[in-house]
Amino acid sequence: MTDSTIIFQLLVIGVTIGGVYALMASGLTIIFGVMKIVNLAHAALMMIASFITYFAFTNYGLDPILSVIITIPVMYLVGVIVYKVFFGSLEKDARFGELTVLLTFSIALIIEGTLGYFFTNTLRTVSVPYSTSSFWIGDVFLPKGQLYATLLSIALIISLWAFLRYSKLGNAIRATMQNSTAAQVVGVNIEKASVVAFGIGIAMGGAAGSLTTYMFPFYPSKHWEWIGILLSLIVLGGMGSLAGSFVGAILLSVTATFVSHFFGPTWSVATFFLALFIILLFRPQGLFGKKMEVK
Amino acid sequence: MPILQIEEVTAGYGVGPDILKGLSLNLEKGKSYCIIGPNGAGKSTLLKIICGLLHPRTGKVIFNGEDISNLRTDEILHRGICFVPQDFSLFPDMTVKENLRMGGYIIQDRDLVETRIEEVIEMFPILGEKSSDLAKTLSGGQQQMLAIGRSLILKPEVIMLDEPSLGLAPNIIQVIFDSIEKLRESGMTIVMVEQNAHKGLDFAEWGCVLDLGIARFEGPSDTILNDPRIQELYLGKIQRVAK
Repeated sequence: MTDSTIIFQLLVIGVTIGGVYALMASGLTIIFGVMKIVNLAHAALMMIASFITYFAFTNYGLDPILSVIITIPVMYLVGVIVYKVFFGSLEKDARFGELTVLLTFSIALIIEGTLGYFFTNTLRTVSVPYSTSSFWIGDVFLPKGQLYATLLSIALIISLWAFLRYSKLGNAIRATMQNSTAAQVVGVNIEKASVVAFGIGIAMGGAAGSLTTYMFPFYPSKHWEWIGILLSLIVLGGMGSLAGSFVGAILLSVTATFVSHFFGPTWSVATFFLALFIILLFRPQGLFGKKMEVK
Repeated sequence: MPILQIEEVTAGYGVGPDILKGLSLNLEKGKSYCIIGPNGAGKSTLLKIICGLLHPRTGKVIFNGEDISNLRTDEILHRGICFVPQDFSLFPDMTVKENLRMGGYIIQDRDLVETRIEEVIEMFPILGEKSSDLAKTLSGGQQQMLAIGRSLILKPEVIMLDEPSLGLAPNIIQVIFDSIEKLRESGMTIVMVEQNAHKGLDFAEWGCVLDLGIARFEGPSDTILNDPRIQELYLGKIQRVAK
């Protein structure tokens, strides 16, 4: 392989993983954008979808890509219930931001403990034929599993964007993300927009949870690694920016792939945390975010 | 019967102290009102109470004979009260047209919304020229026109404006007040909170001086403007703050 082929190969791998990262991050970013909740339980909720997918595959032979048909609505409902049970009563609390960080941390621990109790912390993965085969373009290979997952992720992100852009409810959510007071003033029911946005955010995470089952081994505690990665993606993109989270996901995924190749896989995850550190130091608002005003 | 009655309303934020302390006011249909007072007097709080962004701790807000004290903002909009908050409160990453469409969010008939948008553009032609621009790229005056225009999509009976002249150049302030004048001529009831007290009272028919959460003085605007006590206690003080 020539140097340019290697670089192109690494780019391909980075981008095809980045699409799935972007799907995970889209859910987290929409939740932050509308409700200013830093949902530390996002990846733990993703794990629920991973287990649903795993058992649907092992018990019924349901393909993990097809299982998003189940995990998206199920996780939407889970999101709505979690919001109504845990966040609904906190909305008017002056310390909403701080409380939600603690609350989502607790929810993550509860989910991790419950999954660990019932399913143990054994590493699991879904083995489908396309997870180990590739398309070849000259000397460059495109891993089929990653490609399918990324294409579906991009399709879901475009659907989410179209929903936010063209539907009445989507516009209400977008308006709330941009200026919640103005949204209320024009008659948007903020509570309804928040519940729907939280449900959609968790549903997006659920779809990502399904797609990762054949790409990465998973176990209940895996969510801590995921949430660290996801936070760095959305901080790089700009908290609350859907486009930003997409660009952030692709950029960091490609960077991590290069780091993994040149310095070894151990350093791959460190890339995300180092990036988080650098972004917070030099451009805390991220690539697409706005500077927050302290009043 | 007054169109809007504020009956002994007390209100505040969270667990904080009362900002409004038993405020009572009656507003007549088709008249224009200017509420003045020092910072912290409760002027903006009063408007938030009327439009449902905040609910009274005690007391009532009556609109056209109906108690609207505990209704949501969208329910109050349906009844015909619109609010233009301070600092324009636009959707910065939406276009001018999208902002205007959001003004008709509670209207089911989308064709009606488009017709109303055309009417608003007739009133503020610059909004038509800038219809594809993002709201955040507009000048301060254009943003204020957009904020007022957006609230007019609902053709409200009562429009409440919080500091419509805030941060604007004098020539732009005149343009904004000229457009508010057109609303008055159309029979709309106007409630305005204005730090630029002379400008606000010059415009309005009726004035109210709010201080420490209660109405200290009420009456025709020219009476308030010419009352030596009010001039000494409030207008001078307000002018100093405004500078």
